[in-house]
Amino acid sequence: MDERPDKNRLSRRGFLAAGAGATVASGLAATVASGSAEAPSDAAQRKKYAVVIDARRCYGVHACTVACKAEYKVPLGENRSWVEEVEKGNYPDVSRSFLPRLCNHCNKPSCVSVCPTGATWKRDEDGIVVIDKDICIGCKYCVQACPYDMRFVNEDTGTADKCDFCIHRVSQGLQPACVEACPSRARIFGDLNDPDSEVSKLIAKNPLTVLRPEKGTKPNVYYIGADHTDERDPRPDGMYVDVKTNRRYKERR
Amino acid sequence: MDGHLFWGMPVILYLFLAGMGAGATTVSASMLLRGGGGARGAHHEIARYGALLGPIPVIVGVVLIVFELGSWQAGHYLRFINLFLVANLSPMSVGTWLLVGFTLTSAMYGYTYLKFMPMYFGDRLKWRRALAWVNIPMGIGVAIYTGVLLGAMPSRPFWNSPVLALLFLLSALSSGTALIILARAFIRRSGLSEEKREEIHKSGYVLSTADSAIIGIEVISIFLFLMFAYLTVGDVRYAIDVILPGGELATLFWIGVVLIGLVIPGLLELYFVLPGLLYQRKYEVSRYTEMLIASAVILGGFLLRYVVVIAGQITGPVGV
Ligand code: SF4
Ligand code: SF4
Ligand code: SF4
Repeated sequence: MDERPDKNRLSRRGFLAAGAGATVASGLAATVASGSAEAPSDAAQRKKYAVVIDARRCYGVHACTVACKAEYKVPLGENRSWVEEVEKGNYPDVSRSFLPRLCNHCNKPSCVSVCPTGATWKRDEDGIVVIDKDICIGCKYCVQACPYDMRFVNEDTGTADKCDFCIHRVSQGLQPACVEACPSRARIFGDLNDPDSEVSKLIAKNPLTVLRPEKGTKPNVYYIGADHTDERDPRPDGMYVDVKTNRRYKERR
Repeated sequence: MDGHLFWGMPVILYLFLAGMGAGATTVSASMLLRGGGGARGAHHEIARYGALLGPIPVIVGVVLIVFELGSWQAGHYLRFINLFLVANLSPMSVGTWLLVGFTLTSAMYGYTYLKFMPMYFGDRLKWRRALAWVNIPMGIGVAIYTGVLLGAMPSRPFWNSPVLALLFLLSALSSGTALIILARAFIRRSGLSEEKREEIHKSGYVLSTADSAIIGIEVISIFLFLMFAYLTVGDVRYAIDVILPGGELATLFWIGVVLIGLVIPGLLELYFVLPGLLYQRKYEVSRYTEMLIASAVILGGFLLRYVVVIAGQITGPVGV
């Protein structure tokens, strides 16, 4: 199965062009299908990929960062995935925790709504936010618009780049590289539309957080037991907080 | 700043130049219409300078922006054409089409002032008037768009304010006016007849009055911009610290943008204009003074874009 983004893009454009006609047709199809229950309707095939990150299990080995980097040959100095380190408290009340990061494949992706060329979009079939590097002009508007700093400009292609949930792997039924590499299974990948998937079960059973919900992006990466402490938060008690993002690789000076 | 500014000098210059050009054309068009729109209307000189100058910075700015594109830097020199194959609701797409339109209309408007060029269709003056009516909303649209482009993103709290677009519009109008004042000041006045000089001073008076009024409103909107950011909580409140005393860009903002770009030229203009405004005294200012004031306003307009574009990228939840 060819999963190149531009191919899907064309089909999406076709769908949009077909417009009203397609809606009527699928409405009819649904009526027929509900009677016979043979051909699975479009909605049943549609996936909604998500990642649950159990921060309690993460002990900061950065295996996901390395696996992702190896999978994509991400240029030096940039990352598609990283692990932040949050250190806080005054002795003896101290804590150190880890916050693994990847693209949230948001339901309302602000990166998509600013793109002037339509080079980035959220796929209908699985909810993955993709970038077509043959269309992207590298204007960096989406880089500015993502509230999670997930995007960067790939200096080799000159286009926006970010995590794509390992489309080439998950479309073959494999797990994303970072998920497979995690030795403590802190990253769990799956389909939210399937109530029996591990992510659906975890989400049903656990209290969850997402990153910066106030930005209105509706992320699809859910955290269990994560510490979202921000260095900029007011600290009237003078508590020590240090957040190391490990977002970019810096040359040693 | 770590070299992680995604938008650098080309974007800063683009926002500044597009704004100044749009401002000059808008001021020209409204002066033309206020003066009656005739061949030798009351503010004909002003209208002519503005019309001829306006399109130039806009075109320079648009060309510059191409160098900031990642695709250009990676050697795909024609990729930017994709921008013109789609029209969607992204502020950048809307702005691109607006700029294409404005470049055309402002250039056509400027063309009607080139006496030595033939008019192929219809009457020169009629065209000029019609295009003036078109260019006022277009110019204002372009100037506002430069602020909306930055303001549309919750991820960048420093920019995410409706006051920003207003501020950019006012700055565009005032730097456009200053551009006209500056260009006029290069013409020597000594050999001219008494009547001619009178006319030049009169239009200088009109320009300076307008500019000082715009600067006044600009100061108010800077105050509003700061106040609303300062009195809120969360990301926006942290972001504004960067230009408040002690912030990384505070000196540049308060000395460069506010003092040199607004307060000093605004007060100077007021000082020269007030006697005329209150006591109908004659307005006479040497062209060197005019040059100085206009340059300060233009520098201030540039520094405003500089401070804002950088401040937005080094603050906020993302930062660098
Ligand atoms: S995390 Fe950022 S890049 Fe990913 S979909 Fe959301 S807004 Fe877009
Ligand atoms: S950098 Fe590419 S994907 Fe991002 S907004 Fe610009 S054209 Fe769209
Ligand atoms: S899903 Fe794939 S692209 Fe995304 S962070 Fe994991 S390894 Fe990287």
